[in-house]
Amino acid sequence: MRQNDLTYQLERFGLVIVWLGFIALFGAMRPDTFLTWSNFSTIFGSEAVLVIVTLGLIIPLTAGDFDLSIAQTLTLVSMSTAILDARLDVPLMLVIPIVLALGALIGLINGAITLYFRVHSLIVTLGVGTFLHGITLWIGNSQTISGVSPMLMEWVIIQRYWGIPIAFYYAMLLAVLIWYMLSYTAFGQHLLFTGRGREVGRLTGVAVGRVRLTAFVLSGLLGAVAGILYTGTTGSANPSSGTFLLLPAFAAAFLGATCIKPGRFNPWGSVIAVYFLVTGINGLSVLGFRTFVQDLFYGGALVLAVMVSQLVSGRKERGL
Amino acid sequence: MTIPIALRLDLRGVTKTFGGVRALDSADLQVLPGEVQGLLGTNGSGKSTLIKVLSGFHAPDTGRLEIDGRPVSLPMPLGRSEAYGLAFVHQNLGLLAEASVLENLIAGDHERLNPWWINWRAEADRARRLLDDYQLDLRPEQIVADLSPVARAQLAIVRAADRVREHRSHGSPGVLVLDEPTPFLPREDVRQLFTIIRRLKQSGVSIIFVSHDIDEVLEVTDRSTVLRDGKVIGTYDTADTDRETLVHAIVGRSVSVSRRVSALADAVPTVRVQGLSGAILSDISLSVRPGEVLGLTGLIGAGHDEVPMLLSGAGAARVGRLSMGGHEIDLTRLRPSDAIAAGIGFIPADRLRLGIAPDLSLTENATLPLLGRALWLNHGRLGETTADLMRRFAVKAENPHQAASELSGGNQQKMVLSKWLQLRPQLVLLDEPTQGIDVGARQEIYDRLAEVCANGGAVICATSEFEQLEAIAHRVLVFDRGRIKAELKGDKVTKASIAQACYEGANEHAAE
Repeated sequence: MRQNDLTYQLERFGLVIVWLGFIALFGAMRPDTFLTWSNFSTIFGSEAVLVIVTLGLIIPLTAGDFDLSIAQTLTLVSMSTAILDARLDVPLMLVIPIVLALGALIGLINGAITLYFRVHSLIVTLGVGTFLHGITLWIGNSQTISGVSPMLMEWVIIQRYWGIPIAFYYAMLLAVLIWYMLSYTAFGQHLLFTGRGREVGRLTGVAVGRVRLTAFVLSGLLGAVAGILYTGTTGSANPSSGTFLLLPAFAAAFLGATCIKPGRFNPWGSVIAVYFLVTGINGLSVLGFRTFVQDLFYGGALVLAVMVSQLVSGRKERGL
Repeated sequence: MTIPIALRLDLRGVTKTFGGVRALDSADLQVLPGEVQGLLGTNGSGKSTLIKVLSGFHAPDTGRLEIDGRPVSLPMPLGRSEAYGLAFVHQNLGLLAEASVLENLIAGDHERLNPWWINWRAEADRARRLLDDYQLDLRPEQIVADLSPVARAQLAIVRAADRVREHRSHGSPGVLVLDEPTPFLPREDVRQLFTIIRRLKQSGVSIIFVSHDIDEVLEVTDRSTVLRDGKVIGTYDTADTDRETLVHAIVGRSVSVSRRVSALADAVPTVRVQGLSGAILSDISLSVRPGEVLGLTGLIGAGHDEVPMLLSGAGAARVGRLSMGGHEIDLTRLRPSDAIAAGIGFIPADRLRLGIAPDLSLTENATLPLLGRALWLNHGRLGETTADLMRRFAVKAENPHQAASELSGGNQQKMVLSKWLQLRPQLVLLDEPTQGIDVGARQEIYDRLAEVCANGGAVICATSEFEQLEAIAHRVLVFDRGRIKAELKGDKVTKASIAQACYEGANEHAAE
């Protein structure tokens, strides 16, 4: 049985082992600053937004589609939340459903264009994302909007359990839900066949068009959730907030697909990949490296991740 | 015909084995300068292997080749055949649809083109002269996608002819291999291709014309070579031969296959298809009785293989109705999920694209149709279901969680069959169900189909393997250019009579 195979287990937990190795390395070099609970709880809390964006990406990725607009959905939702809340004084209980609906609508538009016109989702969402950024700059007048109600911050970043901001627990809850959806529902299998055997799925009665559309709507929704949390984390919305999240999220999604369930986009792999990446960057900056390490690390990780996953699948092919 | 002084192409003693099976058995082929030579044979006769030896795709086990008296070492280096004066036009024509006529004409002409600089004006002039030479009504700037099918075929032939016309290595005209260029063309368009072929012949080019259509071969060739079971049966002067002789050579003496069809109760048909038209099919009707295996066959382009696609919702019909078990189904808007709900199972020919998802596990593949809209999947149970299917269908694999790609073709196909048969379909559709599958797995698949029949199900099997039909079919419909041209029943269902019906001219045999 492959499941008991030692190399397979190493492959599943390889990234976790490397992550622990990083922690040990940076901890040994800077025990007083790096290896503190406050450092880790900050990492866990502040990167919850990145986790949710990554979780949003893996749904269309499983169905074989890219959603490059998700980061700009986040920015637009964040900006809309701030404007509705701080400028127009709409009650928070109303703002949240409105902006969630906005995220779902963006997903619906992405999906409708991709499916109806049969254009590759990479191009559609690249364009839609840039368009959304334009809207964000327009409605926010290219400025950072602050003065968001403290209630939102209270429920995102200020409330802590075991020292970790509540945003982290939201991200974990979503990871559980998506894990359940991908692993234990018929819809999860439909997503998988849509991505990995679309014609087989279609001939077996899977409505692959509807599945892809749903995947886009879900990624739009998760982008919106991430946007709300982003606003809550900083108490404001700035028009370039999402721009720096897209590449890390893709890096984490592909890196995550090399572990836990190797060869498949999976939520726990994504969560581990996000925290592996930010631990590395945090550690390097504690060591005194400056901001350029972010780009080196994220970019390098993305390329490395796809190389590793090709090697892994190559190894499997040779194993025949 | 003049007495040949020298052979243009001389291929001798070519043998090629694939996994113990002799696809070619010391085959010879001699082509004279300026002759059109037909190459005939059924599926698996070795025609395409022979062509692939010439193009360098296959390395033969033994054999030698001479062109214009000069020895050419085999295997032919891939992509070098044009330098030896050999050019090929395959059935798919090898044209880039979204590119222009000019771009297609110069594509891959490495021998002549300067790799650093293309003089488009000079190339366009050259293309115009070339098209004029062959009296083709085409302009260099036209996009290939906008051309009619026959114009595309003409373009592909002229391009190939251009590559060997000067026979760039040593000045004599070359050899053009036309590999089934006609099956999707209407008769009057085929005539236009023949005009070009005759013109090429007059300019001294030799042509090998691979076809399944005996009428065409009789019309356009000077001589014809017939292959059967990898051997050359003979080369005939077309003027002195007739259809009868050729059909006899192609089909050969019939070896009896053990027929294993069950006795058929005298029941009314439960499946009726009416007025079905598709891409090739045009207004066909058929019916199947419970417990019956209906075989569909025909030569390339006959359209028999479209039937399972259209009845399963895999493709959309232009018109057509299906009635079965109380369902009245409009085939123009049938979706696969509707077909499944109506009790139809479809085992497609293109296994790795349509039948099974190779990356995914056996369990995932086998249980997909069982999931419905479940919100809680019991993976243990799904694994057991799959293990049970694997036992019942004798699928050899380590465990149900293996990736499907790790199985042999035969075991993959048994898995596909089990996925569908577990749903107990009332109508099982198959398209080339035993392609690339070993004898043992074949027999097991036949056994399963017999079980379907015993339980009152109906089977429609489209295949180009006549022997398979002799083994399992109660009745066979022979298709030609989208229509049913013959029906064979009972002891008429033999390999020889099916082949006879396939190769017979459409005009001589009307549908029963």
